[in-house]
Amino acid sequence: MRYKLFAFGLSGIFIAAGILNMTVGKKITPGIDFAGGALIQIRFIRPISISELRQSLNVRDLESTKIQEVEKEQREYIIRAMLPEEEAEQELETHAIMAEKIVDLLRSDQDRQAAQSGLKDLNNIDISEIIRLLEPSFPNEAINIAQYVFDTKENDTQKGIIENFDQLPVEDIGPEALELLKEKTFLGSLSIKRRETVGPQVGSDLRRRATLATVWALVGMLVYIGIRFKFAYGVAAIFTLAHDVIITMGIFSFTNREVNLPVIAAILTIVGYSLNDTIVIFDRVRDNIKLLRKHDLSQILDTSINQTLSRTVITSGTTFVTVVALFIFGGTVINDFAFTMMIGVVIGTYSSIYQSCSLLYFWNKIFKPKKGLGK
Amino acid sequence: MKKNLRWKAILVLAVIALSLFLSFPPDKKIQLGLDLRGGVHLVLQVMTDDALNRETDQVIIRLQEEMDKELITYEVMSKDENRVGKFTIQQFESGKEGQIRDLIDEFVERDWDLSILGSDATLVMKQNLILYLRDQAVRQTEETIWNRVDELGLTEPTIQRQGGFTGDRIIVELPGVENSERVRNIISKTAILEWKLVKAAADDVETLLTEFGGEVPADMEILEGDPEKAERRYYLLNRVAEVTGKDLRMARRSTDDYNNPVVLFTLSPDGSKRFHKTTQDNVGRQLAIVLDDKVQSAPVIEDVIPTGSGRISGRYTMEEADDLSLVLRAGAMPASIKYLEQRTIGPSLGKDSISKGFFAIIAALLMVLVFMGVYYKRTGFNAIAALILNILILMGALAYFKASLTLPGIAGIILVIGMSVDANVLVFERIREELSQGKSIKSSISSGFSRAFRTILDANMTTIIAAIFLFQFGTGPLRGFAVTLIIGISASMFTALFVSRLIFDVFVTNGKKREKLSI
Repeated sequence: MRYKLFAFGLSGIFIAAGILNMTVGKKITPGIDFAGGALIQIRFIRPISISELRQSLNVRDLESTKIQEVEKEQREYIIRAMLPEEEAEQELETHAIMAEKIVDLLRSDQDRQAAQSGLKDLNNIDISEIIRLLEPSFPNEAINIAQYVFDTKENDTQKGIIENFDQLPVEDIGPEALELLKEKTFLGSLSIKRRETVGPQVGSDLRRRATLATVWALVGMLVYIGIRFKFAYGVAAIFTLAHDVIITMGIFSFTNREVNLPVIAAILTIVGYSLNDTIVIFDRVRDNIKLLRKHDLSQILDTSINQTLSRTVITSGTTFVTVVALFIFGGTVINDFAFTMMIGVVIGTYSSIYQSCSLLYFWNKIFKPKKGLGK
Repeated sequence: MKKNLRWKAILVLAVIALSLFLSFPPDKKIQLGLDLRGGVHLVLQVMTDDALNRETDQVIIRLQEEMDKELITYEVMSKDENRVGKFTIQQFESGKEGQIRDLIDEFVERDWDLSILGSDATLVMKQNLILYLRDQAVRQTEETIWNRVDELGLTEPTIQRQGGFTGDRIIVELPGVENSERVRNIISKTAILEWKLVKAAADDVETLLTEFGGEVPADMEILEGDPEKAERRYYLLNRVAEVTGKDLRMARRSTDDYNNPVVLFTLSPDGSKRFHKTTQDNVGRQLAIVLDDKVQSAPVIEDVIPTGSGRISGRYTMEEADDLSLVLRAGAMPASIKYLEQRTIGPSLGKDSISKGFFAIIAALLMVLVFMGVYYKRTGFNAIAALILNILILMGALAYFKASLTLPGIAGIILVIGMSVDANVLVFERIREELSQGKSIKSSISSGFSRAFRTILDANMTTIIAAIFLFQFGTGPLRGFAVTLIIGISASMFTALFVSRLIFDVFVTNGKKREKLSI
């Protein structure tokens, strides 16, 4: 309790910084789920640096494209097509066209020529198309051969792109099939691993739903706590939660990350989880108020926190550790979620320990509820 | 006491067996979401206003015909620009109000509200017709998409309407497909449906051409009957179609006055006009219905059809009439489609996500297990057992509910690993407290559990509430996450309170009096 003012001060700084940044500063960048747009994840056959990429994309309308590297091997990138501000609310088709333009610019000239002469791009093909290519000459084995080729292409070493025909398993598919593939296909210089295009309706829809979900969740919490404990606890809890959300978003806004649906999911999870810790502490407080009638509130609060401290630290510790595992090992797609969770768990624990009881104390001081805080 | 324990032990074993049974082998029993399998995900919106507009057009044409018949003049019949399903007959001949009312009563059915102001008659579509048409448009689009996607011969496509009865969005998920352009083209194309006038029909080509000196006339062509639908005959048809699928708006099975199955169809206004002319000029001749260059049926034109609605009658069974309307509908898109969302995930990315996800799960699991073993010593074993059981139950539940495992779902599993430890820790800490206050082992365990129960419930409840809201408002992969959380946390409460307690009890009642609890 001694630290309450200090804690408030510290939080205050974070909150102020966060809000400032979110409104005036860098702002929170909405991902395509919320703003609409197009996103492509491309793997190149040969290493290529970000600056080279930017050079290729330095054409009119594509200047503000965002490029993000995946896994530091200079072969795979996530490219976000950004429309100029005024045209942000374009329909899906516009975004899709932009994405096409980008892919086209990044393809090599040889690719274009090969495609024009009727060859199929083996690095961007459905398994059914491979089957169709092979069927005339290998009516019975087409499906098996195609499966081998496909599996090789998509395995962990190749990761979706074949650099030269030698990488195909000649023993499994047979030399004639290999020859046929060499004749009818070419090895594209890039492979599109993921392509997402979102129109504006989805974005506004999602914004509405995310807000509703968060608001209702908070209300739900308030009601639940109000029933199980007393109203004062509910208010303290809500403020603690709000504090968590604001600071997490604030820290998020300082990074280059975009807010997509998984991030909102993380925030909602944090709301629920942070409350966990807070409730455990409140539970102790409630018990101790009954037991330690002679002590004043400040002492009771301190005792409760200390009693539950080991438990709080351990569980937050284990959750934190598992989320870190997700962050490090989980891959790019889930990374934003893991990052948000990491911040959230830390802030949530901090707030449960330092903020929630301080709020109770102040509530008690200001409002002096009749029956005290016991139940 | 021992009997009690036996029942409890059996229950736990049963749960384990059930979970194992449901979820093994994992690659067959557990569904993978699109983000882990790779494939195409489309969200499209059916512009149902189109359907309403077409119906309005039909009604306008009908009325125009009737007013002309009765020689009632009017200035113009115009659709309202701002509101679908509304049009006005402007400046009709004075004194004909009564006649107009009668006409409308007779021909426009009871789905329109009429209001007359001065010499303007305004008709507004009633709600029930509006809802019906909107619903029909979405259903028909859904069905057409099914038929089209079927042609692709894919494994397990998912086509689902979003939003219940009034929803106008359709989600299409095609695992294993990489090319979303192709999918869009297939969905939006029109199967080629044509109505062509029949010059002659015969069982073989020679007989067919005897009148023409053995040669096909320049403006005609020979098409075969579809062996499944029509007899295997050959038809000599006009090359140019009178009406095509682009003009068709609706087709459904119905019955005529003699209770024979027939197919009713409706054409667009433009198509209606042409149909009118064709039937007018060719009563008594056959009009072949051709789908993708195969003749489906060639009914005789019995009378003039002015309204663009037709009836195809013949010796059809109910099923044949159904099939025919399906064929007709398959060629028809009732409303235009707007694409809202388009996502393609390549299979290698999917595989990558899976392996990364599982690696993360194992890493998380190991870290937690090691920690629990070290910090709580032998009692930590309880927590470890509970945790493993948790995951088993989670897998079993996922398999049972046929829920898809998505990347957020995997994240959910990892979170559950971290959170479920919480319940155990709460109990163990309480037990430690009780022990340090000098209570006996048995009573420490007992009060540890009972004291912790309320706290566990409250704390986990809040996470579950958050997950429930996430489920309500989330879509697709996020719902998988919410489901994983809810099941996982519930399972963890079960294992922490019930299973862990069981292990403790077994340990305690097992023979000699224990001096110390390794905790």
